Amino acid sequence: MAIAVAKERRVRALGSERAREALVGYGFIALPMAFFLLFFIFPIGYAFYISRYDWQIFKGPFIGWDNYRELYHDQVFWHHAVRNTLVFTVFVVPLQMALGLSLAVVVNQAIRFRTFFRAAFYFPSLASSAAIVAIATYVLASDGILNKALNAVGYDHHTAWFAEQSTALPSITGLIAWTTSGTIMLFYLAALQAIPTEVYEAAAIDGAGAWRTFRKITFPLLKPGHYFVAVVSFIGALKMFDQSFIVGGTSGGPNYSTMTVVLYLYNRAFTGTTRFGYAAAVGLVLFVFIFVVTVVQRLLFGKAEVS
Amino acid sequence: VRLWEYALEEDSAHFLTPQGSALLDRRSRGKGRTGVRKRLAGPALLAVIVVIAAIFTAGSPAKTDRGKGADRAAKSAATTVSLNGWVGAKVEDDLLKEVIAAFERSHPNIKVNYDAFNNYQTTMLAKFAARKPPDVFYVAAEDFADWVRQGVLQPLDSYAKKTKFKSKPFYSGLLNSFKYKGKIYGYPKDWSSLAMEVNPALMGGQPVPKTWAQLRSVAQKIKVAGGKPICLQADWARLMAWVYQAGGTGQFKDATSAPFRVAANYYVGLLKDGLATLPTDVGASWCGEAFGKEKVAIAFEGNWMLGYLKDTFPNLRYSLATLTKGKTRGNLAFTNAYAMARDSKNKAAAWTLLSWLTGKTGMKKWTSLGFALPSRSDVKPVPGRAAFVRYPKFTHGWGNQVDFRHVWTEVANNELTAVVQGKESVNDMLSKIAAATK
Repeated sequence: MAIAVAKERRVRALGSERAREALVGYGFIALPMAFFLLFFIFPIGYAFYISRYDWQIFKGPFIGWDNYRELYHDQVFWHHAVRNTLVFTVFVVPLQMALGLSLAVVVNQAIRFRTFFRAAFYFPSLASSAAIVAIATYVLASDGILNKALNAVGYDHHTAWFAEQSTALPSITGLIAWTTSGTIMLFYLAALQAIPTEVYEAAAIDGAGAWRTFRKITFPLLKPGHYFVAVVSFIGALKMFDQSFIVGGTSGGPNYSTMTVVLYLYNRAFTGTTRFGYAAAVGLVLFVFIFVVTVVQRLLFGKAEVS
Repeated sequence: VRLWEYALEEDSAHFLTPQGSALLDRRSRGKGRTGVRKRLAGPALLAVIVVIAAIFTAGSPAKTDRGKGADRAAKSAATTVSLNGWVGAKVEDDLLKEVIAAFERSHPNIKVNYDAFNNYQTTMLAKFAARKPPDVFYVAAEDFADWVRQGVLQPLDSYAKKTKFKSKPFYSGLLNSFKYKGKIYGYPKDWSSLAMEVNPALMGGQPVPKTWAQLRSVAQKIKVAGGKPICLQADWARLMAWVYQAGGTGQFKDATSAPFRVAANYYVGLLKDGLATLPTDVGASWCGEAFGKEKVAIAFEGNWMLGYLKDTFPNLRYSLATLTKGKTRGNLAFTNAYAMARDSKNKAAAWTLLSWLTGKTGMKKWTSLGFALPSRSDVKPVPGRAAFVRYPKFTHGWGNQVDFRHVWTEVANNELTAVVQGKESVNDMLSKIAAATK
């Protein structure tokens, strides 16, 4: 009897302890969750609300799906903004990932000055993108350092890289791949260190070479890393704005070659006739697209891999 | 989550602080790390405190200013009027602050709270939307048509009438840029037109051209080492002057009319025939820079170029001439106004400030250093500006068209770039521009 009571008491005590623990847990997430709801979920809902009105600076009449219908027929949006953004994404994401992974593999080796290299490779990610693009405009000018270097090795080049329609977006792509490679290296480095050393030891015993080890062990075991990096890079690439904004101004020039979806959104809200409603519709379309892409990536890589 | 845990583990933590990490790495070899961490904790904490302190003290000069203002306000129960503008060059900002200080001295019961932003249009739209706009603010002629239609600007006629503020002294071309349905919504604060800048050393003895034909023939005789005779930008904010010279209306909706075609063909022709260059092709970001670097003999820029050349290329010798003549004369007037918010809470005091700034006294002070030209005919510009003000009748306000910035920068300039780079015909460009105004 006494034993049963004691046991019951202990169970009850355990129950209340669990409840307290849960309370503390919810308490901890309450604040970030409140921020998340207030600054992420609510604005998305509100943007949807705005997008259904002819909302200029102030709220106008309700127009249902008219903004979306107009967007569906918007030539500049599809032919330039969306196309450029997709082309940019398709090139920059693999480039970023390859660069980041190579850097991570290099600085993960026991080499001399390892810490220095890690810091050096990460450095571009610390500088503001605006500052980097501003400097790049000088480097890539028609009489800039890059062309001078090319001339020195025998290529007679006078391209103003950012001002030429055919080279503007590729130049931005290269620049961004370089600046973001440090962050991606960081992610990959973390993932690399999660691979247990026994696997490598086993491989070494089996006589696998460096390349083979990388291909058969490192690369596949980095799957969660790949997923995370791919998602982050995709989202970042689809939201590209500041580099375009600095290179081509609000025009997205030369000849729309640097017009991106977010720049287009910005322009509809802030350049020319203010159309917050239409801009919100652009934002919603981008949101849905990113959401779908992320879900697809998750299915491709398998959700069990991400903890 | 796992990734971040690893990222924050000691090995990865190094390169988050490049300087500290080298130290950490060297000392920690063969030793326990906790000791080093503890030793570093003190200096690190100190560094953080210093940085935070620096951030907070950096704002303090402004605070003392405000303090002074508050004292004055307490003494005379002053009204505060907020004044917003975009960020200009340091010398211009300093001058404006002097002008404001002069106003406050002569109007002890009004205190001016001045603030300037980068991304001005974006910031102002947010303020309008929140119904918390400043009382008085700049309006660029390029934004006027869109802003006035949204109902954010206050019509000023009744205030002007009440205080006998005359609009007659203002150049009508400039004032028209801020009129909507017969009412005045802003008074131009200053302006500039375009002039032809000529570098005599590069002209090779050729005369300064006066007509389109002469400009072409002179350019054919000039040789500029590493450059071209003329600098032209792929920008309708220049090309439109040629449209006016060809007898055009200057309205983008008329882009398919003959004067537009004539002007665009002439302008693009100079570039295609190698008589003119884009600034970017000679390593400059704009024609003022190309002209200063002596990569071109002739440029077409405004009054803003004079201060720039003086500061950046003090040894450059050049002269100013009026724009070349086509079928007729034509020039663009780039102007901005002071306007009042319809949602302003202190309209009386706001008008006192606005009318003083655009009045004779305020404008004289503001244009005294020659950064911009006075928009009132009863205030004389500083010497050496004759080329800009020579033909006021042929100088047309730039802006004041609906959806202007969109049509200008996004459509017209992109199409012009495509034409210059040989990817489109002039006629296609013009019909696309006309279509964009619909």
